[in-house]
Amino acid sequence: MRYRITHRTEYRYSEPVDSGYNEARLLPRALDRQQVLCASLAIDPPASDQRERSDYFGNRVVAFSLDRPHRSLTVTSSSEVVVEPRVDGLDLFAGESWEQARAALREATDPEGLLARDLVLASPLVPLGEALSAYAAPSFSPGRPLLDAVHDLMVRVHRDFRYDPEFTTLSTPLADVLAHRRGVCQDFAHLAIGCLRSQGLAARYVSGYIETLPPPGKPRLIGADASHAWFSVYVPDCGWVDFDPTNNQLPESRHITVAWGRDYADVTPLKGVIFGGGQMQLTVSVDVLDLDAADPMAAGGASGGHP
Amino acid sequence: MRSTGHALPDSAPGASEPSREAPDWYAPAPDVFDETREADGTLRPHWSYISRALQDMGAPELRRRRDEARRLLRDNGVSYNIYDDPEGYNRVWDLDPIPLVIGSTEWSDIESGLIQRAELLDLILRDLYGPRDLLRRGLLPPELVHGHAGFLRACDQVRLPGDRQLILYSANLTRSANGRMIVLGDRTQAPSGAGYALENRMVITRILPSLFRDSRVHRVAVFFRALRQSLSTIAPRAARAEPRIVILTPGPLNETYFEHAYLASYLGYPLVQGDDLTVRGGRVWQRTLASPQPVDVILRRVDDDWCDPLELRPESQLGIPGLLDCVRRGGVSVANPLGSGLLENPALLCFLPAIARHFLGQPLRLESVQTWWCGEPRDCRHVLAHLPRMVVKPLSRAPGSRSFFGPSCSDSELQQLRARILAEPRSWVGQSILGFASTPSLGTDAVEPRTAVLRTFLVARDSDYAVMPGGLTRVAPSRGSLLVSNQSGGSSKDTWVLASEPEQQVTLWLQPTREQMPAGQRAPLSSRAADNLYWIGRYAERAEGIARLLRTILQKVDEALQYSGAAHEDCLRALLRSLTHCTATYPGFMAEGELLARPEDELLAVACDVQRTGSLAQSLQALLHAAHAMRDFWTGDIWRVLDGVESQLAAMRRRELTLATLPEALDQVVVALAGLTGFTGERLMRDQAWRFLELGRRTERGLLLASLTRSTLVVQQEEATESLLLDAVLATVESMLTYRQRYRSYLELRTVLELVLLDPNNPRGLVHQLLALQEALDGLPEGTEGTRMGSELSERDRLALEALTQLRLVSLDRLVAIEAGSVLREELDQTLARITHLLARLSDVITEQYFVHLRESRQLAQAQVAPR
Repeated sequence: MRYRITHRTEYRYSEPVDSGYNEARLLPRALDRQQVLCASLAIDPPASDQRERSDYFGNRVVAFSLDRPHRSLTVTSSSEVVVEPRVDGLDLFAGESWEQARAALREATDPEGLLARDLVLASPLVPLGEALSAYAAPSFSPGRPLLDAVHDLMVRVHRDFRYDPEFTTLSTPLADVLAHRRGVCQDFAHLAIGCLRSQGLAARYVSGYIETLPPPGKPRLIGADASHAWFSVYVPDCGWVDFDPTNNQLPESRHITVAWGRDYADVTPLKGVIFGGGQMQLTVSVDVLDLDAADPMAAGGASGGHP
Repeated sequence: MRSTGHALPDSAPGASEPSREAPDWYAPAPDVFDETREADGTLRPHWSYISRALQDMGAPELRRRRDEARRLLRDNGVSYNIYDDPEGYNRVWDLDPIPLVIGSTEWSDIESGLIQRAELLDLILRDLYGPRDLLRRGLLPPELVHGHAGFLRACDQVRLPGDRQLILYSANLTRSANGRMIVLGDRTQAPSGAGYALENRMVITRILPSLFRDSRVHRVAVFFRALRQSLSTIAPRAARAEPRIVILTPGPLNETYFEHAYLASYLGYPLVQGDDLTVRGGRVWQRTLASPQPVDVILRRVDDDWCDPLELRPESQLGIPGLLDCVRRGGVSVANPLGSGLLENPALLCFLPAIARHFLGQPLRLESVQTWWCGEPRDCRHVLAHLPRMVVKPLSRAPGSRSFFGPSCSDSELQQLRARILAEPRSWVGQSILGFASTPSLGTDAVEPRTAVLRTFLVARDSDYAVMPGGLTRVAPSRGSLLVSNQSGGSSKDTWVLASEPEQQVTLWLQPTREQMPAGQRAPLSSRAADNLYWIGRYAERAEGIARLLRTILQKVDEALQYSGAAHEDCLRALLRSLTHCTATYPGFMAEGELLARPEDELLAVACDVQRTGSLAQSLQALLHAAHAMRDFWTGDIWRVLDGVESQLAAMRRRELTLATLPEALDQVVVALAGLTGFTGERLMRDQAWRFLELGRRTERGLLLASLTRSTLVVQQEEATESLLLDAVLATVESMLTYRQRYRSYLELRTVLELVLLDPNNPRGLVHQLLALQEALDGLPEGTEGTRMGSELSERDRLALEALTQLRLVSLDRLVAIEAGSVLREELDQTLARITHLLARLSDVITEQYFVHLRESRQLAQAQVAPR
């Protein structure tokens, strides 16, 4: 599937901002099943200094600063990517048990395994504790195949938690999400990650997008007009497998990956420090257009379709 | 620790031949290793000379020298800030006159052990932010690295130019009960203490000059020379020839701020805070009154994660946004590099011997305190089984985390600790509790055995590390106490490493200091310094003005009691209200009733209540804050003056003053502040620093004069009352003597106004302040907002000129005139109101134009990952 993604972030300030320093993790990474045809960032007013690098997790970071007074900042990321479905298929019930995976991980010294061992530990937004471990337990019965257990966990999170954008903000602690059983995709990803880590497994947070228009006859997917988030679990000697608890599915070719890290704090799409500015007003729009869709009218409908 | 300290004999016995016999000035416990003794109880050779000297000196003399040391430290303003200290935020540094003495042979072992350890830690630092071979080879468990708060992923692959990454290194050493030197812990972020060690040395050489001279002690100055050299070599390539180096401090509230300022003056580097610096175009710049100055090397005293709110701790106001990326791009070098805090992980101690064999092919020369990391199941079982006999430490220092000293924990505390370890074993280490050796230390009046910790200092040099010969020794606060920390009290010692041969005099080549630097070459004044100087001027003047007015009022309170009568009462009432006006402590005496009849409590509050905005105490406190923030700027003498202010403020804080004792305190304050004025007036170069001090001083004095005159003399009073008020005003503005000499007549409003407002020759008069303001403004640069076109006056010059002209154009006749049917001197009121407005506006303009750093950074709001 071929997509064109436009992610626009706009800040308006009531007073001038004297200077600002920013980091954007808005350019999709290239992966085995994801080819990035083009990706660029437009900054308005133009940045006085701008540079791209890759971070600890291999994500693409654009660092830029503005040193002239300005009253608004618009950052637009535009990219075209091709996402291929899995060719080999995925058998949830094959493979090693979750305990075997955990044991293998503890001994891993290969580069990928060493990185994965970092992702077993608590992270700033995902503290571990009894409550997470207790919620995870029913999915991790003895000897259960790893992916089957994780799939079960995803199904349970989707079933037990209510999608409620009014309930959480970016600073809602995971414990509140767990106690009230509501949240948004970011919270569900953090929750599942915390459950997996509490079992000694490696899990990471994935930030990205999901296709805007659903195929005919399918329900419209939540999270389509903002950036999206899901999680990924590490299978020793095999690699990472993604799960989307918000939509209760295994991402195939409708999820576009931008960046990953321990939790949201590692992959914040756009962060910055400013001097001045007074009140700030933030508007975000995300548009994911399926370029393979034959009907040009459908594409037009998608770009205008923000609820 | 079972021992009794012997009191020193009260008279010095006659000199005797050097002897290895145990002296009677000190008796350590027999079963514990003591610095002075061999196992058989005889004196260790390197102590024999010093021991005899101490014996000859006798107790009273030793105590006298300790007092002398205290006086010197106090005069030099040496302090250590104790957090949450109700006594104010500075505590005087304490120095024991008896040094810790280390022989040359033993020191060379210690030195080579320290160098080896620094080289090892440098290799580990390079590896963990580089290839991470240590993890791949299984020499370090990744959880130990990843799970430590000091491992900053943002610093991955970031490197300083040059071979070394660990530039500064400190190790805390102590001697165990069996006599071996043990490393208790490593300091690798921004090690503190070298400045205190230097100051201790300077004081000791003054209180024990001949003993020091004859003992062949290694000089510590060599370390600072190596430090300067090292900082120059890590500068970005383009700036290597003449790098600009600054010291970054968290600010005056930091516990070791004294040292930051001290090192800045000693090394000749500017002392800056985060918001003095800004990142632009991949480089760091220091804000000054003139153009921004590029910065090449930052010696930081700010912890790793507080240095950059963009990539590290977002809430930090101590750092510089964009700093880390600047380092990454090679635009600036920071020592120690950001992220080096990961070496402070105590669990590393378990793995150092194996890593030393791997990297160096050698065993560790200095052993570490025995440590078990609970992330290893076997170690964890050991720690849990021996919990009551262990020190248990969290892996990372963080708010709310602390160490636990097993033997002093209750059963329930141990239970809780056990549960915390079991819940997160990877986050804890256990360490065995050492039997400590002892060293002689002067207690209240006797020399006692105490435990001590020696902090050593190393700095990278071309091929290895330079070690400060000696270091900072800290002593437990009491006999038998094992706790050594400045936060919990305790004393310090100079550390003498004896040379096997006479030491050559080493002089540290210094950049010229502020005083020696020719005017043309002086570094531009930073915006922060200008701001502080301006407010030092304002607060000093405000405090002095309030103190003088209070003094006058207290006198009038007495007079009103002595001579009852309406005139005295009316005068007192007017003055009390004037006090409320001048200090803006509304409502104060403005309300009718009780307060005016019984002014005592309110007067004491306006004088002594630090919490009360506008009070004398609050002005003094603000003055001291601003003066401390300029610590590197003042020379030693100023501290004696500020010390006087500080002790008065302390008395106010303790609520010791009554209306009876207040006048004397006010006298002291006025004298101290006059000393400050004298110092700054006589000794400061007439440069920009002086100009800002002068601007603050003149602005404040002008405002106070206007406010005092307006609140006392605008409303017409009975003749007797008015005469008393004129007398009070003249006394308050210190112009009584001049008035009597000049007019030799009774008090008359017209002549008083002439002297107080219009006479340019009266240095306490209003017109004089406005003239002085103009002069100070004349030499200022245009500042950052310079928008003046051609020959048009800038706003600040226009304001100053208008205020002066207002005053110059008035006629005395009109000032004293009262319209029929009114009780107000309209023209006087209007003129003073206008001048007050102009001065206040001028202050705003100066603030806006020059003090640009008064800004807070904040985070951009972030988008919710899902729609709202």
